[in-house]
Amino acid sequence: MSTPTESGTTDREVARSANTFTGDVWVNFKRWSLKAVRNPFVLVVSLAQPFIFLVLFTEVFGNVAGGAVSEGLGPGVDYTTFLVPAIAIQVALASAVTSGIGLVNDIENGMFEKVLVSPMNRTAVFIGKTLAEVFRIALQIAIILGLGVLLGAEITTGVVGAVGIMAVGILFSFWFIAFSNMLAVLTRDQESTIIGANLLQFPLLFLSSAFLPLEVLPNWIQLFARINPVTYGVDAARAIMLDEDVMTVIEVTAFDGALDTIVPAVAVLAGLGLVFGAGAVYLLSRASSSDVR
Amino acid sequence: MSNEQSIADAETPREHSQGSSASRSGFAEETSIDISGLELTYGDGTEAVSGVDLTVGDGEFFGFLGPNGAGKTTVIKVLATLLSPTAGEVRVNGFDVRTEPRKIRESIGYMAQETSIDPELTAEENIRFACEAYGVPRGDRDERTAELLDLVDLEAVADKRSEEFSGGMKKRLDAATALVHRPPLVFLDEPTTGLDPTARNRLWEYFQRINEQGTTIFLTTQYLEEADTLCERLAVILDGGIVADGSPADLKQEVGGDVLDIELGDGPEARARAATIAREFDDFDAATVEETETGISVTAKAARQSGTDLLVALRDAGLIVTGFNVRAPTLDDVFLAITGERVDTDDGAAIMEESP
Repeated sequence: MSTPTESGTTDREVARSANTFTGDVWVNFKRWSLKAVRNPFVLVVSLAQPFIFLVLFTEVFGNVAGGAVSEGLGPGVDYTTFLVPAIAIQVALASAVTSGIGLVNDIENGMFEKVLVSPMNRTAVFIGKTLAEVFRIALQIAIILGLGVLLGAEITTGVVGAVGIMAVGILFSFWFIAFSNMLAVLTRDQESTIIGANLLQFPLLFLSSAFLPLEVLPNWIQLFARINPVTYGVDAARAIMLDEDVMTVIEVTAFDGALDTIVPAVAVLAGLGLVFGAGAVYLLSRASSSDVR
Repeated sequence: MSNEQSIADAETPREHSQGSSASRSGFAEETSIDISGLELTYGDGTEAVSGVDLTVGDGEFFGFLGPNGAGKTTVIKVLATLLSPTAGEVRVNGFDVRTEPRKIRESIGYMAQETSIDPELTAEENIRFACEAYGVPRGDRDERTAELLDLVDLEAVADKRSEEFSGGMKKRLDAATALVHRPPLVFLDEPTTGLDPTARNRLWEYFQRINEQGTTIFLTTQYLEEADTLCERLAVILDGGIVADGSPADLKQEVGGDVLDIELGDGPEARARAATIAREFDDFDAATVEETETGISVTAKAARQSGTDLLVALRDAGLIVTGFNVRAPTLDDVFLAITGERVDTDDGAAIMEESP
């Protein structure tokens, strides 16, 4: 048997790792950003698909829908401008799904456990991962806004408005990131997570104010749209885009103009984020605890 | 147990270790792992581990054997802080698993049974991520990564994504990521399962090398040959409890002598008769006799010296011996003797009678 020398033992003490919280966040942020760039699925689904929607919808429905938009928001709003904020929210929704898929993959390929046996702070691990996803969503919304402007959309509030729309997209994404992570922990199965999250995406988008003003849609859709988070995300983004009060599901007049939409919508989204976030934190800490089940 | 009780239990060792941190190195030279009275019961009532006591010394190459489902992985997960013990005291590198899990995580390497690497990252990126996760100082990371890539022979594919790797390459990469922080203690949970012999041999060399450098290794394996080649000490777990503990040579000795395999020309009836003769054979004290597919197998201290006498006795009884072989017991025999004893209650009773 090899007997370690006295100096050998001292070395071990010195070699003991010294992780910091921000260091752990950064390590995980880097890993997940690298993985996002590597994974064609992430880029195609969360960017190409909304882009195709943007082009197809404006080209195919632009002329027809233009009338409906004028009916809802008054003349002068062109359909591309109307649609771009909705696509920005669609990007956030599609990207948020990949958060849960990433977690399920980690559980399946053993990286989840590997991270648990490492000395990294577990909260920092999840913050780092979520930051990578949120950062990606902001970039993707920026790209969509740029393309929208190229296609003729107009951001009334300019660059500040563009940043505002990115912020709304990020705030909106929290509840769905949390939701897809909850699905991931509960199913521990990649396909169920993808199907579960994707199945929801289209109904949520279509049964909201995303593609047409609610006034021209059937009553039952108007009712559903009230409880649909997408409506609040799209309305807030659209209010910034047009600098107008566009919200029809909650009537607020306490502020002025666009703020009558933005303030209540942001409040609703923040609340949703907190509720779903708490659920995800609970399930994630249960999944990573060493308590016997 | 009441909550207060368990908190009180947990507090004492922590204070102890803080108070004696200066002398910890002296303590650690003695034991890397110290388990007493470990019990683990899963939520559904399954008692995976019941009353395990085990000590592993610093620098040892320790093998942990047992049939599937005996509790090997459960014990290793408790030691790696992935599972909290239901009862008992467990210390790893001098730290308590309940109160100081993070200090344990900093000072161990853990290679899970399932290969755990990120397939979307390259070999180098996987190791680098591990360096960062274990807080390897920034200045050392390049050197450490290169050193480990060299150690597991993956420099040539350092920039290739690991999803393209063969099973053996993935395992080697996984092993490398468990060693980035030069842990004094490494857990290897069936590291070579499913590998071809060449890949297995390479991993063996590599484990021996890090053990020679002073690293304590805690290995579980299904391959007894592997345990025999690598381990200085073995423990066998069965139904959640340790049933044997010692060096491979000690354990083989406990089997009760050498093994004489005899092949017989006739059918099962002849085998039964031969077995009876062997059991009643005077020269073999406390012999274990088993009927095999082709004949009988006798384990006895005097198997080498008096084996020919038994062959003569068999011939005198009119049985045709077509072949025989005397050999030292292998770990396979040890394993069979230990685990067979309780798994097969009928045979077990017979063995118990003959070997007091």
